[in-house]
Order: sequence, then C-alpha cells, then structure tokens
Amino acid sequence: MAGSNEVNINESKRVVPLNTWVLISNFKLAYNLLRRSDGTFNRDLAEYLDRKVPANTIPADGVLSFDHVDRATGLLNRVYLRTTEGQPAWGFEELEKPLSTTEAVPVIVFFHGGSFTHSSANSAIYDTLCRRLVKTCGAAVVSVNYRRSPEHRYPCAYEDGWTALKWVKSRTWLRSGTPNDSKVHVYLAGDSSGGNICHHVAVRAAEAGVEVLGNILLQPMFGGQERTESEKRLDGKYFVTVRDRDWYWRAYLPEGEDRDHPACNPFGPRGCSLEGLIRFPKSLVVVPGLDLVQDWQLAYVEGLRKSGHDVKLLYLKEATIGFYFLPNNDHFYILMEEIKCFVNPNLNCQKR
Amino acid sequence: MGPSSTSNAGTGKPPPPPRTELDGFLAGAGHKVRSSDLHHVAQRLERLESAMVSSPSHVVSDLTSDTVHYNPADLVSWVDSLLSELTHSYHHPNNSSAPTSSTSSSSRSLPVDLDDLFAIPSAANNWLQPEMPLSQPPQLTVFTTMEEDSGIRLVHALMTCAELVQRGDLHLAGTLVDEMTALLTRINTGCGIGKVAGYFIDALSRRVSGAGSAPASPHETEILYHHFYEASPYLKFAHFTANQAILEAFEGHDCVHVIDFSLMHGLQWPALIQALALRPGGPPILRLTGIGPPSPDGRDTLREIGHRLAELARSVNVRFAFRGVAASGLEDVKPWMLQVSPNEAVAVNSIMQMHKLLGPDPSPIEPVLSWIRGLNPRIVTLVEQEVNHNQTGFLDRFTEALYYYSTVFDSLEAACPVQPDKALADMYLQREICNIVCCEGAARIERHETLAQWRDRLNRSGFRPLPLGSNAFKQASMLLTLFSAEGYSVEENEGCLTLGWHSRPLIAASAWQASPLSAAIAGGDN
Repeated sequence: MAGSNEVNINESKRVVPLNTWVLISNFKLAYNLLRRSDGTFNRDLAEYLDRKVPANTIPADGVLSFDHVDRATGLLNRVYLRTTEGQPAWGFEELEKPLSTTEAVPVIVFFHGGSFTHSSANSAIYDTLCRRLVKTCGAAVVSVNYRRSPEHRYPCAYEDGWTALKWVKSRTWLRSGTPNDSKVHVYLAGDSSGGNICHHVAVRAAEAGVEVLGNILLQPMFGGQERTESEKRLDGKYFVTVRDRDWYWRAYLPEGEDRDHPACNPFGPRGCSLEGLIRFPKSLVVVPGLDLVQDWQLAYVEGLRKSGHDVKLLYLKEATIGFYFLPNNDHFYILMEEIKCFVNPNLNCQKR
Repeated sequence: MGPSSTSNAGTGKPPPPPRTELDGFLAGAGHKVRSSDLHHVAQRLERLESAMVSSPSHVVSDLTSDTVHYNPADLVSWVDSLLSELTHSYHHPNNSSAPTSSTSSSSRSLPVDLDDLFAIPSAANNWLQPEMPLSQPPQLTVFTTMEEDSGIRLVHALMTCAELVQRGDLHLAGTLVDEMTALLTRINTGCGIGKVAGYFIDALSRRVSGAGSAPASPHETEILYHHFYEASPYLKFAHFTANQAILEAFEGHDCVHVIDFSLMHGLQWPALIQALALRPGGPPILRLTGIGPPSPDGRDTLREIGHRLAELARSVNVRFAFRGVAASGLEDVKPWMLQVSPNEAVAVNSIMQMHKLLGPDPSPIEPVLSWIRGLNPRIVTLVEQEVNHNQTGFLDRFTEALYYYSTVFDSLEAACPVQPDKALADMYLQREICNIVCCEGAARIERHETLAQWRDRLNRSGFRPLPLGSNAFKQASMLLTLFSAEGYSVEENEGCLTLGWHSRPLIAASAWQASPLSAAIAGGDN
C-alpha cells in the first residue's frame, strides 16, 4: 500500500478541483488519526477538529435557520426555512402558520454523512449543504443530529431518524398546500450513512403507514461481506479505502456482526425483498463513479427495482465522494437540479 | 493603480504582493486557506499522508493521544505542526516521550487525577499569526420554539412592546406591559418561557415607568456571583480554561504575577495555586493582585480573601504575596497601582469585566487596553458572554437578550442545581437582564460583545491571539461530564473555546499577548 501512494495521489488530484482535493484530503487524514485500531474513536479530538457553525435566524441569502431540541430525547434538529423579501428577521410568528396555504412546499428531512461516526448537523459542510438545498429546491430542511457510533451503535441512528420523522410530520408549521389538502410534504435525504438511514427510516415509515413522498440517497453507505469489483479496483484511489469502510461498519453494527447484517446489506443474503411494501416511497439514488462502494449502491438500486419500486439512478461517472460539498463542479449542479425536480413534481423538469 | 503586468525583466520592479484572499469555498467549510496557499497546503497534505503511512503505528497514534493541536481553522499551520511532530518523532524514536524545544508532547494520557490535569506541558512555541477575521453578520437570533399558544403570544407581545419603546411610545408600551402581566398569570412562570418572559416584562415595566433598576451593592453582587458559580458550569469553565492558559504561559518563569480584574471571592485562584505547587521543577514565586470595589463598612474584604489564599498557598509551599486594589471600576485603576516589576511574568485575567468599559464616549476601553499592553503581559485571559448586547438599537438589543437569556435559563433548568443556588443564580442573571433593558448611557454596564468583536478590537489594539489548544478543549469537556446535564457543549473557535447550551455558544474564552510593535508596520498592505 505504501508503494502505490504516489499514483493514488496523482489520480485523485486530476479529477477534482484543488480546493476540493484539499478539503477531502484533510478530512481523510484527520479521520485516519481519529480511528483507533482497537475500534475505539477519539471523540474529543474529533469534536475539536470539526468546524461547526451556529444557527442563524437573520436571513442570509434567503435562508434562516434555528435549532430545536426535543426535551424528552435530547435530539437536536436544525431547521432551515426560506425567507422572502421584507420578512422580519425574527419570524417566531411564522411558527404558527403553515409554510404555504396555496402550494405544496417540500420538507426535506436530512441526515448528514460521516459513516455513522463523524460530523453533526451543525458541521459547517452540512450546514452549508442544507442551506443550498433550501435555496435550490424552495424547500424547508430539517437536519437531524442523530447519535453516532461507536458510542451508539445500530439501531440508534435509525431510531433517531424515525423520531425526527414523526416530529416533522406533526409540526403544523411545516404543513403546506391548500386548506383542504394541508399536510407536511416530507422527503428523506442523506449522504453516505445518511443515505443508509433514509432507507431504513423509509421502510419503517412505510410499514407504519406514515407517508414519505420520496427518498434521496446521495452516495449512500451500503456494503456486504463479499469484496466487489469496484471495491477492489478503486481501493485507496480516491480518498477512501476498503479498510476504513470496514472500520466504520464494525463500529456501527452490533458487536460480532458481519457486513451482511441487513442494516448494511438490505438486499443481501440476510436482507429481504420490499415487494408488497406499497407505501415505500420513490427513490433517487446518486452514485459517484469513483466511489469504491458503488457496486453496493448499484445493487441497492437493483434490489429496489426487483421489489417493484420506483427508483431513479443518477450515475455521475467522474464524480468522487464528497463532490457535493463545494459548488465548483458540474456534478454539483446536475445533482441540485435533479433533487429540485424530484421534490417539486409539479415543476416542468426535463426528463433524462 | 499601477500596471498589471508582472514581468519584471529589466525594470527592477518587485512582483505584485500575493493575493491574500481566502478561498471562499473552503472558508464556508470552516477552513481558512489563502487561495495563493492552496498548492502549498496540498503538498503538505501529501507529505503528511506519506509520513503517516511510513511511520510506525505507535507514532501515529501519539499524534492524537499526546499531541496538542491548535486552531484547526488555520489549515496550513495545523498540517505543518502535525508534519513536524511526525518527522521529529520519526527521526528521534528514542526521544518520543521527552518534550522537545519546538513541539513538546505530553507523555500523560487521560484519565488522570484531577490534580494532574494542570501539570501538562504544552507546545509552547506553536503560536500562530493573527488572522484576518471574516466579517460575521450580527447574530440576531430569537427563535424560541415553544408552541403553546400563550407562550407565542407573550413573545409576540414582548417584541411589540420593545418596538414601541424604541419608537418612544412609552404610553402604549405601558399598556402592553399591563396586558403581558395579565397574560403571565395564565402560564407557568416557574420555568421555561414564562419565567424568562417574566423577567423581561419586569425590566420593560421599569424602563417604561422610569423607575430604572436599583444598582446592586458590591456585597450583593458577590453573593449572587458565588451562587451562579455553583449552579452552572459557565464560571467554572471560565476559571478552568483561563487557569490552564495562565499555567502554560508561566512555564519557565520563576516570578509570576497575576492581576485579577475582579477578585470576587477569589474562587478562581486556589486551583491555580495548587497547580503551580505541583508543576515540574517546583512552584514559582506567585504574586496576586486582586481588583475589587471598596468595602463600605470599614472591612477590607479584598485583604480577607487575600489572607485565605495566602493560607492555602502556605499549605502547599508556594511563596505567595497578595495585594488588593480597591476601585469602583476598572477605569479608575492606574497601572502604577499594580506595582508590576520588570522581571516578573504578568498574567492579566478578566472574567466578564471588559465589557463594562464599552460605555459611551469617552469610552475607557482603549486607555485600559493600552495600559494592559504597556505591562507587556505574558498572557491576557479574556472570558466574555458570547452575544452582542451592545447594539445601539433598543429592539435589536432586546431581541438578542431575549434569545440569549432564554438559552441560559434553559441550561440552568436542565442542570437541576440545588436551592438556594438556583434562585440566587436566577437573580444574578435577572440583574444583567435589567441592566441591558432598563439602563442607558453610563449606567448600562452589561455591554456584552461577541468573540468576533473582541478579536477585532484586540487585534486593532496591539494584541495577538494565543490559541487555546486541544488539551484545554479536552479538559473542559471532561469538566462538563462532572455535570449530569447533557446538552452543554464545548466548541473550538479558531483558537478560542466556547461553552454553550446545545449548539448555541454562550460564553467564550480567549487568550492574548501583546504584539511586537514592528508587527504593526510589517505585513501586507492588501
């Protein structure tokens, strides 16, 4: 592995802009420092290094945000709302009224990535991403600060996701639509582990009869015991290694479990078909062509199709992981456009 | 503007100064890197990766467990410091546990006895250059997401009333105060929004009626302070963090002098005295100068506290001398009163005092900062409320305070402190609220400003930041676990530490040093 370093670095540098390369390489190296070989994690240093930003109720570029903490569970959600010209900076009054009484406004429940271990809802990179989602899609976004591994293993993240979904669905001020038709128009979205959480929360919602209008899985984190061709081919080449993927699964899954656990491999040997689960939402699955776990992501798409569910695959051939953090590449704009169309079905979007 | 050509063949013209703009996208991600430095950082990251791959694994794990990290926002420095740690350890494998002159690492690891916490050496020479602060929009935040009807109406009424006050319509404001008082009877005023609203309604009522707020006697203030200290982690965090920084700054000095801008009951100092007693190589000679208000009844409270601290110092064999300086306000203190001698290392410690100097012109802040700088202190520790309560517009200030104190009271409730600490802690905060809302001009002393504002001010007044590192962060986090309430969070903010409730920072600690005079002249003129 040491000998092939030079080639790896040059390859990844060729396919992303320099500032992206610096950002993701920095994450990679910092994360390497934080993971310990005994499976424990240096949480203190991780929190110290993570760049965070506070919420901001002064509308900045048409978006304001505030944090809500559920007193019962301690779960924090950061809520992002779009604002319009002339709206007062302090909009607590708006908490009584629905988002709109004339049209449907999508509410995206967002689960940040970090392989179940890193980052928070108030991490700078995710705060920025959520604000961009509000602007592009005209949506409200609720970013969930779910409990992370290894301190909190499966199924904590899914539990928190489910709690957050129920909270969002029950907010009168997140409703929209004409008075006869007012409801919370919920979509689930997430990158990396967040994408994985979306899937499992959506399954639970469908089983419980709770309506979710769509799932957006951005570079979702799935895996399995088998070593796939993409894992072998791309190992270590574009910021990510199979070894670190393994570490995060060991940290998240119950001790002693392997990667064919259905949390990790929902359509694998221990998974089950979703055939017949009618209320499972339509999905948009975004796969970066240079992500080493793409074979698992593609297998997921296939699994959904076989179960008879509506899934659209957006395969971005030359995208690396994390392409969506900085708006300095085409993939970013293509992605935003796709998400916008996905959550605004009334828009006249070009079919691809 | 001159010609834009950069060719200097034969002209003898120097190339234009490098672009010092930060890369905007990375700044949005919380990393400050100049566009012109991107290639350099990238190179260093590559080298760091190679070094990590080729170093033995125990060396790499030392990078996290023992090394102190500083200011991760400054990516260039962070990467460089890791690189030098790694290459040093790699080339001196037998020396991995001994401190070096440039970057020392601790050979201790957590968990340790509480006593040992202060005796960890630091990477003393790893100070960073002052940064260009990104201008932050004012944090006008007022979301209280309570959804009970009457709670919402109350907040609405409060804001409307504040707006009326700003417009000068005191009569209508008074009517609204009466309505709000009536509303209050219908909600729980023991906790939550009801309680906070109650204080703000009271403050508004005083402002509107012209009654103003009764100034607290220094004696009362000290008692309330003490109970606030017991009921919440804020002041403990302040003392703890400042002490850690002072301890590190005093390394290698045999004569040290701490100047405390507000002694109160001297709660901060026993821990420092004990830490100094335990430091490797033995304690220095410690002088403490405590500033406080004059005692009215012939007692000399300052001296009494000094006596108690002296007793403690004697019991741990630290040579100690105390001096009290009685002054009603910092603006009345003259540097000669502090009797600083040239061979001692000076620490100036200001816990929630500096904001009192931000009053109307002639504002004493500049003269005071100037004489502090004149003392050439090894360190200035500054802890302040992390909020802007010094805005000229009344409505803005009111709004900011409503949100800030709602959050503080929320945190206190969750901490479940015992009585009478809790009630008196509440009163401590209520006094601040009253001052912010009722008073104007010289009487308004609670003129809190944010870390970003203090950074700006101190940079302009000839100080440069001394970053508080990951060590202080780790220890502050540990301090929090001693409190059963989950929800407090310590965050790193460009070399400073903040303590907050959930994701809202409420108090910020920073450390400073006088910049060398030449720094004002050097540096780019971009």
